[in-house]
Amino acid sequence: MDQNHMKKQINSARNSLFQQGYLDEQFIQLEDLQDDANPNFVEEIVTLFYSDSTRLIRNIETALDNYPLDFCKLDDYMHQFKGSSSSIGAKKVKDECSQFQECCKARNTEGCIGIFRQVKHEHATLKRKLETYFQVSPSNSLENRHTLQRNTQLCAAD
Amino acid sequence: MTVEEIRGSVGVSNEIDRFPIGMRVLAVDDDPTCLKLLDGLLRKCQYQVTTTNQAITALKMLRENRNRFDLVISDVHMPDMDGFKLLELVGLEMDLPVIMLSGNSDPKLVMKGITHGACDYLVKPVRLEELRNIWQHVIRRKVESKSQSKSNNQEKPNQGGEGGQEAGSGDPNGKLNRKRKDEDEDVEDNGNEDDDPSSQKKPRVVWSIDLHRKFVAAVNQLGIEKAVPKRILDLMNVEGLTRENVASHLQKYRLYLKRISQQANMVVAFGGSKDASSYMRMSSLDGLGDFRTLSGSGRLPNAALSSYSPSGMLGRLNSATGVTLHSLTSPSMIQPTHPQNLTNSIGSLTKFQPVVLPTPPNHQNTNLFQGIPSSFDLGHLHQNGNKPNTTQIPDFNPIDESRIFTGPSSFATLGSQSSLKMASMSSESFNLVSSSSSYLDVPPPMGENFHDQLPPNSSLKYGYSASSNTIPSFGSNITSTASVPLEAQGQRHGQYGKPSYSPYSNNAFSTLAAAAAAPPPNGGGLGGPVSQANDQICGVYNRSNGNGATAMQRSSRETERSSTELKMGSGEEYLLEQTKLPSGFVANNGYDSLDDLMNGMMKREQDPTIMMDGEFGFDPYSFGSCIQ
Repeated sequence: MDQNHMKKQINSARNSLFQQGYLDEQFIQLEDLQDDANPNFVEEIVTLFYSDSTRLIRNIETALDNYPLDFCKLDDYMHQFKGSSSSIGAKKVKDECSQFQECCKARNTEGCIGIFRQVKHEHATLKRKLETYFQVSPSNSLENRHTLQRNTQLCAAD
Repeated sequence: MTVEEIRGSVGVSNEIDRFPIGMRVLAVDDDPTCLKLLDGLLRKCQYQVTTTNQAITALKMLRENRNRFDLVISDVHMPDMDGFKLLELVGLEMDLPVIMLSGNSDPKLVMKGITHGACDYLVKPVRLEELRNIWQHVIRRKVESKSQSKSNNQEKPNQGGEGGQEAGSGDPNGKLNRKRKDEDEDVEDNGNEDDDPSSQKKPRVVWSIDLHRKFVAAVNQLGIEKAVPKRILDLMNVEGLTRENVASHLQKYRLYLKRISQQANMVVAFGGSKDASSYMRMSSLDGLGDFRTLSGSGRLPNAALSSYSPSGMLGRLNSATGVTLHSLTSPSMIQPTHPQNLTNSIGSLTKFQPVVLPTPPNHQNTNLFQGIPSSFDLGHLHQNGNKPNTTQIPDFNPIDESRIFTGPSSFATLGSQSSLKMASMSSESFNLVSSSSSYLDVPPPMGENFHDQLPPNSSLKYGYSASSNTIPSFGSNITSTASVPLEAQGQRHGQYGKPSYSPYSNNAFSTLAAAAAAPPPNGGGLGGPVSQANDQICGVYNRSNGNGATAMQRSSRETERSSTELKMGSGEEYLLEQTKLPSGFVANNGYDSLDDLMNGMMKREQDPTIMMDGEFGFDPYSFGSCIQ
């Protein structure tokens, strides 16, 4: 009931993330890795990604402030950033990263700056959405499952 | 599936029974997100995972205990060390299967990974299915090495390996895996000349230093003209060795001699008396190197070490270093002066297509390389735009023996630098080492040793008088022996601004050379590697490195330093000690790039000679420069 409702909400939130292209199947891999031994795996790895990527973004921003742009360096940073993003299944972010790399290859200064803004935007958007998602979705810990079971029983008993 | 097969076929050790469960993997990636993902995925496969985000730490862990891990997965793009370099080092020193990981699926990079000896190349993001199959690389390697060591021995109850082999090789894990397998097999076939072509996994003979020395002794006894495999085999009196093994080794040895004589001639032209010996050394290394390559690591067969141009440089280097063992000045001496050069030289070396010792991908001893790069740097760095080192050539002269040994390997490495056939190079370097060992059997002045030990070859003697102004024109002669493909080298050069692999090969070789050179004062030390028949050459050499180097040092330096603290028995300990040096690695002598530093590290570890000598020691300069 309440639980079911919650679950439905969580599912739809999750589905929309996929449908809207924010996440791809790599995220599902992360979820698959979450189990009793690693109850908060997904959340942990996403948190890790965001703290690490902040650093990368800062580096890129600094590099974008130096003219003429060092495209090699930028491409390098972006390569790392893209690797991280793809590892958690951040699809849109990854796509923007690819575009950025194209601009680097073409030595397109304006393009790089513009695309990077997109990258940051997607990055922040996904962060918000995931935070919301984690808040509502219970981790797959034993404790939570027991709580769920108890609640279900209570409901059934009623 | 295969797990059951393996389990069924093995039934011997628990470890194999449960394999691949519990397989110990070392994962290296500077990106924390990816590393965590890897960790999760690997644990899901029920492997035992150790992670680190630093390549240097990974190396340290691997060096501390060779047997601590079964497999290494490493990212290509890392700040502290290039993934390919780590790959080479691991392959060279520990002979562990290494899987590369990268966000870039560019086929060129994949090719590079393979040529550097990677067992597999995965593209990020990594998927679980891909990781589920990686255990086959471990099995494959075990099988290969076991078959090698067993040679023609009777079947040992190590069915696990064979069973696993069948399971692993028979299991078509994905086209990549199959390709790798094919490649490995191809290489094996090519390399294993002594193997029956019809049989897939023929036991490969590991031509350890000791074995090679026996071989050379037998050949010398018979006389190079009359040395036929059957007689050599009889003289050697080694159990389990077949006439075919000896025949193929003899063939390589002959090629090596030919190379040496050509080199010696070139050297002569330069008037360096020491050159000849250095060449000799080199060639011996090459000889082994070939073996190494073949046995090893599934690297590309020694196809093209054609450009021995570095050999020219090597010759120079050798002369500079003075073939005399007693001139064991550590590369540090040279390095501080030319940190840039080294890096550059290495790069330039690739251009030269160092023929020399293709370092076996597994054994890339930086030490070996160290000697050479310096020389190369001197001469030909201008290619890289580094300080024109022609004038510096003289500096290298004081290169110590260790350098010399490294030289040959470095040549190989240089060639291989171009990355690709490091494996082949190493094998060559091994050859050199082993051969050189025979040459170096007589402790003191290498030069003299060479004279004595070289098979009757007037050209060689001629070479002795050559001066040390080698010019990298020898390449052409030696190229034939080099197994490093020229193209690869060129590529490498382009890709790596810094000398990366040469040091590795150097190390391997220097160690080997050391080991080979010194008549086993270490008795045990040298015997050790030999007894480790089951170990792949890398292992063997690695183990003996400490000892060998020690031995070498002793022989070379006995005259000079009575205090040579060659701890015969403690060679390995010594190595360990060395690794404990501050900063975790042996400071490099003035190496600018981390690559150099790593190489230096490798070298140091491999070559106790260098380490022991305080002056060689850690060069704070280099150390600092390496730190990023």
